[in-house]
Amino acid sequence: MKIILLSVILSGMTLSAFSQELYVNTEPASNMATHSLGIRLENQGYFNPEYKNRTSLEVMYGASKSLMVHGTLYASDYYQHQQHLEGGSVYAKYRFLSIDSVQSHFRGAVFVKAASISNPVYNQEIALEGDNSGFQTGVVFTKLIHKLALSASTSYLHGFNNRGYDIPATNARDAIGYTLSAGYLLFPRKYENYNQVNLNVYTELLGKTNPGYGQSYLDVAPAVQLIFNSFFRVDFSYHAPLYNEMTRTSKNTYLVRLEYNLFSVF
Amino acid sequence: MKTLKIFLIIFIASITAAKAQFTKAELQVSGLTCSMCSKATEKSLRTLNFIGDIKADLNRNVFVITFKKDVPVNLDQISKKVQNAGFFVNNLKATFNFDIVKVNNNAFNYGGDSYRVVNGEGKTLAGPVTVTVVDKGFAPSSVYKKYTTADKAETGRVYHISI
Repeated sequence: MKIILLSVILSGMTLSAFSQELYVNTEPASNMATHSLGIRLENQGYFNPEYKNRTSLEVMYGASKSLMVHGTLYASDYYQHQQHLEGGSVYAKYRFLSIDSVQSHFRGAVFVKAASISNPVYNQEIALEGDNSGFQTGVVFTKLIHKLALSASTSYLHGFNNRGYDIPATNARDAIGYTLSAGYLLFPRKYENYNQVNLNVYTELLGKTNPGYGQSYLDVAPAVQLIFNSFFRVDFSYHAPLYNEMTRTSKNTYLVRLEYNLFSVF
Repeated sequence: MKTLKIFLIIFIASITAAKAQFTKAELQVSGLTCSMCSKATEKSLRTLNFIGDIKADLNRNVFVITFKKDVPVNLDQISKKVQNAGFFVNNLKATFNFDIVKVNNNAFNYGGDSYRVVNGEGKTLAGPVTVTVVDKGFAPSSVYKKYTTADKAETGRVYHISI
């Protein structure tokens, strides 16, 4: 098992020798341009034991050159038979480090996220993407070298009781999250204008641990991304567990996302 | 005679103010690696009222900027807009139409700001000349650190340029 895990990670690294930093499953240390607005419509879900899916609407705004904020609403049938509005989250990221040269950069950022959700708590995973009310804070570093971008993050999560539903007394309330992402710009091989379609490929490792509870998981999430006219983005990804010792809904899930960017709007 | 002298000085000064100005610039931005980032940077630059047109070379991360004829150019605003988009100016080569401006003690004034030439002492500059800004915000630290001096302008700020 460990050998398989290691080989998957290594193959991920090799693949990553070719990608960009507009990661599908994580945020890079870079921010959006000041006064730019991004709108994301996302659907993710799973097919076993039955088809369930979650839709989220996310608005992102570049508040200054160093600060960007996100606000997200979630709706799913994960915990009920019908689709319903689960709640929302807010996220802020502050870039504190930038070492740039012409076609490379190294950046660091701190982020915070808070969520308020009304679902019952069945899972051991604390996830602020529609499942749990809670708080998250962490750091992310991104290194970009021409067409390849590498990024790593670590964060602390604390789960609050959901609106109307408490976290079971036997569940962990604190968790550590970690991610490792690699991306490569596959096309165009040479830029000629803004209208060329960009194709980026990604491999991301997404993990969480509930310290003291022996609960943890590590997913590998390959992703493909198309960017049209330099402002419209389409993402596809799949989360597959490399190992899983945690009850959660994020296992074996697909993700489809549309993102529309408006630059210098305000 | 004295009146004539004063008149001549004012006349020359006014010509200088009218004719001597930035016409275009080649701006290289660091940290850019995707066309989405370049587009955000160009859109940010286009909000400046003195910029007429921008042509981007996406492979070299270079923006060729044409300035409007009658609007004073503020170089600091260019650097600010690039930083707002999340990037940095690696190099700014601007074409300045000197016409009558003479570089006195390696310095001249434009748009209320002072410009110090860090090389080419006493050279009389005429016509369009490409100058490179070597201040912080326009060049890598290895470059601007060489030219950091405690210059104080009578009005506005002091730009350091090389010819």
